[in-house]
Amino acid sequence: MNEIPSEPPTPISLEQLLCRDDLWMGHSQRFTTRAALDTGYEELNTSLLNQGWPLGSLVEVCQQGMQGEWQLFTPSLLRLPGMIVLLNPPASPFAQAFIQAGIDLERLLVVAVANKKDFIAGFIELSRASIGAVLAWQPDESMTYTELRKCQLAASEGTGISVMFRPASAQQQSSPATLRIYAQIVSIGLEITVFKQKGRLQTHQIKPIVLRLPEKWQPVLPYHALNRNASKTKQEVRPLPLASVTPLRGKT
Amino acid sequence: MSASSSRLWLAIRFSDLSLSALKLDGSVEKPVVVIQKKRVIFANALAEAAGAQLDMDITTAQLLSGCEVVERDEEKEQAVLHELSGQFYHFSPYIDRYYSDGLVQSGLVLEISSCLKLFGGLKSFSERVFTHLAQTPYSFEYGLAHSAKAAWYLSFDSYAIAGDETKPLFIQRLNKLPIDLLLDYPKAVETLAKMGFKTFGDIARQIEGQSISSFKKRLGTTFTDILCDIYNIDQNFQQSSLFEKPRDIYRPVEWFEEEIQFDYPVTIVEQLKSAIEDLLQQLSNYLRKRQQQCQYVEWCISDIYKNKEFIKVNSDEPQSHWQLLYDLTLIQFDNKELPFEVDTIKLVCHHVMPLQHKSQVLDFDQNPRRKTVRDYAITIAKLKARLGDSAVYKLGYRDSRVPEVTNAMVALADKCNQELPEIHLKALRPTWLLTKPELIEVKNNQLHWHGYLSVLVGPERVIGDWWEKPVARDYFLARRHDNLPVWIYFDLYSKQWYVHGVFA
Repeated sequence: MNEIPSEPPTPISLEQLLCRDDLWMGHSQRFTTRAALDTGYEELNTSLLNQGWPLGSLVEVCQQGMQGEWQLFTPSLLRLPGMIVLLNPPASPFAQAFIQAGIDLERLLVVAVANKKDFIAGFIELSRASIGAVLAWQPDESMTYTELRKCQLAASEGTGISVMFRPASAQQQSSPATLRIYAQIVSIGLEITVFKQKGRLQTHQIKPIVLRLPEKWQPVLPYHALNRNASKTKQEVRPLPLASVTPLRGKT
Repeated sequence: MSASSSRLWLAIRFSDLSLSALKLDGSVEKPVVVIQKKRVIFANALAEAAGAQLDMDITTAQLLSGCEVVERDEEKEQAVLHELSGQFYHFSPYIDRYYSDGLVQSGLVLEISSCLKLFGGLKSFSERVFTHLAQTPYSFEYGLAHSAKAAWYLSFDSYAIAGDETKPLFIQRLNKLPIDLLLDYPKAVETLAKMGFKTFGDIARQIEGQSISSFKKRLGTTFTDILCDIYNIDQNFQQSSLFEKPRDIYRPVEWFEEEIQFDYPVTIVEQLKSAIEDLLQQLSNYLRKRQQQCQYVEWCISDIYKNKEFIKVNSDEPQSHWQLLYDLTLIQFDNKELPFEVDTIKLVCHHVMPLQHKSQVLDFDQNPRRKTVRDYAITIAKLKARLGDSAVYKLGYRDSRVPEVTNAMVALADKCNQELPEIHLKALRPTWLLTKPELIEVKNNQLHWHGYLSVLVGPERVIGDWWEKPVARDYFLARRHDNLPVWIYFDLYSKQWYVHGVFA
């Protein structure tokens, strides 16, 4: 009897590979999600695909310590229904500031984790559940590509916004996140650099976007300097009534 | 009086339950009194002989008899009654507890008419019951009558059970009892005594002559209802009731307990999964049949050497389906390695509650919101199982001037306070508050915390908590050399600078 020749393993064709959901093909937008959440900043919207934060995918923010993350996300969080879960936040969120910002504290949930294993398990549970927004701060241990990919897959199963804050050094590592940005507070505002975006190929040098920081954070002239300034501009402009200015003591 | 009722009640009164339930050693040889609210509620024979009486205060009782004084423990009494109910369940399914507040006496009342045939008549039945009771450490008195209350009151008089008692005989016996036994209704007893009533018989004669309504007017409906219960009087004069009052059926405590024994020693959690699923499905079936749900289950794994390990699984919301309990159990098992080669796995669920009926709107469009709410509940339950209850919390505002005191951690089930007073509403507040304020160094007359700081806005003076640990601080918004805005303060007591928060 003739032996049935064993079939050689069929080589995977390029076409087959290209059909895969998780293959990033530069500018191809075939498999990127269309759902997006308005960031609340016009200039940031224009630089993002679909004019906003991509929903149901992992957004990675690389930054040095704490760098204006609430400035960046508060406008969109106010628009998003559902819960806001803070996973492993770097410090205690200050309730007073959130009430001032108009965020309903009933929506805000803090989840503290002890180690990286719990962090990843928690992130996967939360993003998969599509309960709203998940803002997660990577623990001190570094994360491998596989772990990040698990997070990305979990995020893609959900419909909410999943953001992971990672140290600035992570910018150099490769990551499966859909959107990767670098955030840094500079003297004129919050500087955002979008350095990876699935479905949009960066062909030229990336230009950072600067978002304005709140007026309240701007320095105010010391009390003794207020009068001096006023006397200089006495002829041209009427000085502001002093009553509307908070009396200040200068540098110590 | 309705003559149709064929019910027969046996009351068993445990006169010294308050002492015997405490299970004290040698309580017979020495004088002992049981007290409640500093008054004597029970004195044993020796104490009584020495002069201790009921309702006496402790000091007098002690002076008179030199007795030992013990505090009453109602929980233990209830436990004894519970245990005895379980034993009497062999005789009759209709068991009720009876408690007299005024006399501080408790006991059990059994409806026995339907089980006499089984035990060969009333006489043989009562003999079996009393033989059983004689084996227990509790002394008892009994009463037999046509109604539960009448049986209870007849237990204060002793009549041997002949086996051919009839209702007229019970009424005749009742009529001889003094009205003082109705101590639970002191006002009514007082009024009756003033009117010249001395025995139950006086009351019965009055009812026969004048009808019950005259009592209702003078002594109120509650007391009249009691009289009707004792004499089994039908208060509906227009038409006699079609049905008798239903009897309470005693339900023995039941709980779920099932186990699976493996044919081979199990060393990895993966192999336990099918057994866990199977046991939880059995639990789910058990709960469904009884229309119950549970919130807490306990696993017990053991090996052939009888080593045991318990794993507790808590769920935030009561469950009647097994899926979430399965997930939560796996989380608990994932968190630990099996300590030994598992031979048996057992699932125990002691505490169940009746199923909460949830009403919901018919939803043909499959509202996605409902799914989200359910997903949320499950996710939180899983997170809590993994990280512990305290790891998941909300934030709230607590009224104070001191910033760290205002930040409250609130449990998920509680509501958080969000009313911020005007004084905080307009002030500069950072989004992050450091758990512990960090000291700022002063270098070359400049503030230094991971970089030089320059003060931009301030100060805002915060003074508070003078009654505890006084706080006096001047808060400023400062900027670090890398432009990070931070919230710093100058402590007016320690004269030092601290970083307290970060604007982000």
